[in-house]
Amino acid sequence: MSTDIARMRNIGISAHIDSGKTTLTERILFYCKKIHKIHEVKGKDGVGATMDSMDLERERGITITSATTNVEWADHSINIIDTPGHVDFTIEVERSLRVLDSAILVLCSVGGVQSQTITVDRQLRRYNVPFIAFINKLDRVGANPFKVREQIADKLGHNAVLMQIPIGLESAFRGLVDLVTMKALYFDGPEGEDIRVEEIPAELAAEAAEKREEMLDAVSMHSDELMEAVLEGRPTENLVRAAVRRGVVTRKLVPVFVGSAYRNKGIQPLLDAVVHYLPNPSEVENRAIDLDHEGAERVLTDAPEAKTVALAFKLEDGAYGQLTYIRIYQGGLHKGDELVNTRSGQKIKVGRLVRMHADTMAEIHEAGSGDIVALFGVECASGDTFCSPGLNLAMTAIYVPEPVISLAIEPVDKNASDRMAKALNRFTKEDPTFRTHVDPESNETIIQGMGELHLDVYVERMKREYRAEVKTGMPQVAYREAIGQKVDFDYTHKKQTGGSGQYARIIGRLEPLGKGAYEFSNEVRGGRIPREFIPSCDKGFKAVMKKGQLIGFPVTGVRVVLTDGQYHPVDSSDIAFQTAAQGAFRQVYAMAKPQILEPIMKVSVEGPTEFAGNVFATISQRRGTIVSSVEDGTFSRVDAEVPLSEMFGYSMVLRSLTQGKAEFTMEFLKYGRVPAYIAELLTEQHLERKKKESQK
Amino acid sequence: MTLTVKEELIKRSPLRILEKSISGGLGKGNIGVLASRKGVGKTACLVHIAADKLLQDKPIIHVSYASRVDHIITWYEDIFKEIAKKPKMKSALDTFDELIRKRVIMNFKQDGARTEQVLRSLEAMIVHANFRAETVIVDGLDFAQAGPEDLRKFKDFAGRLGLEVWFSASLKKDDPLFDDRGIPFELKSYLDVVDVLISLQLHGDHVHFSLVKDHERLAPKDLRLKLDPTTLLIAKDVRARAR
Repeated sequence: MSTDIARMRNIGISAHIDSGKTTLTERILFYCKKIHKIHEVKGKDGVGATMDSMDLERERGITITSATTNVEWADHSINIIDTPGHVDFTIEVERSLRVLDSAILVLCSVGGVQSQTITVDRQLRRYNVPFIAFINKLDRVGANPFKVREQIADKLGHNAVLMQIPIGLESAFRGLVDLVTMKALYFDGPEGEDIRVEEIPAELAAEAAEKREEMLDAVSMHSDELMEAVLEGRPTENLVRAAVRRGVVTRKLVPVFVGSAYRNKGIQPLLDAVVHYLPNPSEVENRAIDLDHEGAERVLTDAPEAKTVALAFKLEDGAYGQLTYIRIYQGGLHKGDELVNTRSGQKIKVGRLVRMHADTMAEIHEAGSGDIVALFGVECASGDTFCSPGLNLAMTAIYVPEPVISLAIEPVDKNASDRMAKALNRFTKEDPTFRTHVDPESNETIIQGMGELHLDVYVERMKREYRAEVKTGMPQVAYREAIGQKVDFDYTHKKQTGGSGQYARIIGRLEPLGKGAYEFSNEVRGGRIPREFIPSCDKGFKAVMKKGQLIGFPVTGVRVVLTDGQYHPVDSSDIAFQTAAQGAFRQVYAMAKPQILEPIMKVSVEGPTEFAGNVFATISQRRGTIVSSVEDGTFSRVDAEVPLSEMFGYSMVLRSLTQGKAEFTMEFLKYGRVPAYIAELLTEQHLERKKKESQK
Repeated sequence: MTLTVKEELIKRSPLRILEKSISGGLGKGNIGVLASRKGVGKTACLVHIAADKLLQDKPIIHVSYASRVDHIITWYEDIFKEIAKKPKMKSALDTFDELIRKRVIMNFKQDGARTEQVLRSLEAMIVHANFRAETVIVDGLDFAQAGPEDLRKFKDFAGRLGLEVWFSASLKKDDPLFDDRGIPFELKSYLDVVDVLISLQLHGDHVHFSLVKDHERLAPKDLRLKLDPTTLLIAKDVRARAR
C-alpha cells in the first residue's frame, strides 16, 4: 500500500437521489478488487450494495451515514467517503465535506441537473471542493449526456467539458470514445472487467474530432504550454492531462465523463480520471482553530515531521467493537503514539489501527498525513480533534446547534427498552445534534434533533440495528420560556409541625439575561445563608426552570441574584433551600412577564423567477419575514426567517406550487418570541393537557 | 422607556430638517432622486432615510441593482449602530432585530432586470406577500441605461400603490455636472418625472446637500445638511448656519 501523499486521494461521491451513486460505488469497489461480487442496491439477491452497510440504507435505497472505504487503483490509494445528500443530516454532510479533498458529482443522463444536484453543488462550492462529473445511466431511455453537460454549464455555472463521447445510447449504448487518447473503449466480460481498445468507429470520427477540439479549446485556457502545442497541432496526452488537472484543482474546469454503472461501462476510465485529475491531500490547504489563541486559524502542513493533528469524524459500533474514523491532517499516526483529545483534554494511546473497507478491514501500523484510517477502543465523540501533546488545535468549531424538534418514544416491551437505551447511548455519541432525556413528569423518553427526517432515521435505526421497536408520538417543536423583566423575590419555606422541620428563606431577584441560558450570582453577605446552602439554592432554581409554568418548556435566559435570606440552626437543610428556590421561582415567575420563544429557521428558497411571487406569499402566510430576494434573470432566490412550527409540510406545498421546480433548505437560526395570539393558544393547550393528566 | 428614547431620536433626526425643506416630505406617489458622482455617499443617505422610517415602525423595501445583499445588510447594521450610539439607546441590539423585520431587500442583476419585471416582483412583495411598505428606496439604477420612460413606470406604480420612492443617481459625465440652476445635465430629461431632486457635492472634506427641485418649485437651496464623514449619517451642517 502506498503511503506517498502524492498517490493518495480522499474523494466523495455526491449526487441527487437515484442517480446511481451507490451502484457506482459498488462497481468501483469491484474493479479495485475490494469485493468479489457485485450486489445491486435493493438487490434481488437480498445482500444489497456493499457500501450501504446499514440495513436501513439497504431498504430505503439511500445512503445515510458516511462510511468510508479505501481502494487501490493504478498504484494510488483512494479513500471514498460516502456522503449523505439530504439537508436534514447537516452535521453529517458538513463533516464529510470537511474530510474529503475532492469529489465525483454523479448526474443522471435523463434527469440531468436536479434540485439536489444544485444543493450538492452549493455545498461543494461552499467548501471549495474540486470535482469531476460523471453522467450515469447512458443505457436509459431518453439518455442525453450532451444536454446534461449543457445543464452543468448553464444551471450550475461550471466550465463543463466532455472528456468522452458515448458510442450508441439507450439500449444501443456500447462503449465510449476517449477524447484524450482518441480511442474507442469497450467493456467486455460478464462484469465489464475486460477493456477492449479499438479505433474510433468511422461513423463517429467526425463527431469525436469536433468534440475533441471543443475540449482542447477549453482545456488549453489552463496551460500556455498546451495552447502552444495545440496551435502547432501536436498536443500530447500528458500536456492535456496536466492542463485538465490544473483546471480541476483550481475549480475552473469540470471535466465530464460518461457511462452506465449498472451496465458496467465507463467505470475504469472514471477511476483513471480520479487519479489523473483530482488533487492529492497536499494540494489542498487545511486550517485548524488554535484553541490557545482565541480561535485564530492555523494553516496545517504536510511535512512528515510535523506534530500530529487528526479529526475523529465518525464513530461506528459494528461487529468489531467501537471504531473511530480519523482523518489525519498533519503529522502521522503510529501504533503506541500518545495523543490528546483537545476537546476533553483526555490522553489516548493509539492501539489497533486499521484501514477500512465498507465491511472488512486491514490492520496497519502507521498512517501518514492526508490519510483516513480507523482506531479501535478510543473514547471520544464525533468531531473531536486529536493532537500530539503540546498542540491545542481543533479542526471543527466546538459549537453545536441546539436541537429544535423533539419526539416522545416508547419501547413496546422490556427487551426493546434495554436495546433502546443502548441505541440511544450510541447515537448521542455519534451525533452531537441528537439528544435524549427522560421527561421526569410523563416518564417518557424524549429524543431531540434538527428536523423531522433526522429523528425518523434514528427511530428506524433503532428498530433495525438494535431491534428496539418503539412507538412514537407527534413531533414537537422545542419551545422555550423566558422572562421579560426583572422581578424581586422573598420566599420562606417553612414546615415545622412535629418531628424534624424544614426552614429556609431566600431573598433576591430574577433578571432577563441577554445571552446565555442561566446564571447564578451570590451576593449574600455576613453568612445570612450558610455557605453550604448556596449551591442548594442554585440547584433548586435550575431544577424548577426545566419546566416553565406557561407551557412546560425549559425557561432560559435567566440570571438569579441571591441577596439575602434566613436560616434555622436545626431545621435548615440542603433540601429546604432547594425547595425554597423552587417556591420562590414559581411565586414570582408570572410577574416577570414570562414569554414563549420558538425556534426560527433560516429558510432559502430557490427556483425560477416566475414563482417568486408565490414563494413570497407562502413565506408571509407562515409568519415568516422575508430578508431578501435576489433575481438573476430567470433564476431567483428568497431568503427568509420562518418559525419552525410553520414549516411542517412546506416541501409539499412548495412542490405543488412550483411544479417541483423550486427547492428549499432550512437551518436553525435563533429563538424568537411567539406572537401573543399563538402564545395564548399554546398556554391553553398546555392547561388542557395538564387537566387531562390530573384526571387520569 | 425605549419608546421615549426612540421618539426623541426620531424628533431630533436631521432628516426632519430635510422633510421640512421639501414641504413636509416626499409624499405618496412621488419620486425623489439623490444625485452625485460615484462614491460621495448616496447609498449612505438612502440607508439613513430607510433606517429613519424603520425607526418609526414603517416598513420599507430596499431595491438594489448592484450591491450584494450581505453588503446592504452591513450598511444597515452600521447605520443603526451609529444611531444607537447617540443618546442612551437601551438594548440597541434588540431594537435592531425588531426593526429589520420591517425591511425587505430585493436585489436585481442590472442587465437581466427590466423595469417591468422589477415592478412585478415589487407588487408581489407588497400585495401577495402583504408587505405593506410605503417607502421604497432604489439604489444603483443606471439612469443612462434606463431612460425617463422607466422612471415614469416607477412613478405610475408609486401612484397606484401609494408609495414614495427614493432613487440614487450616479452622475458619470465630465465636468461641469450642473447647470446654473444646479440641475445635473444628465438628469434634465428626467426632470418632469422627478418630484424632489437633491444633489450631493463634495466641498473639501464635506458633502453638502443642495435641493434642486422641490415638488413644483425649481429653486436651488442649501439644505444645511452634510454627510458626517465618520458616521456616514446625514447631519446638521453647523457651518452652513453660521454662514
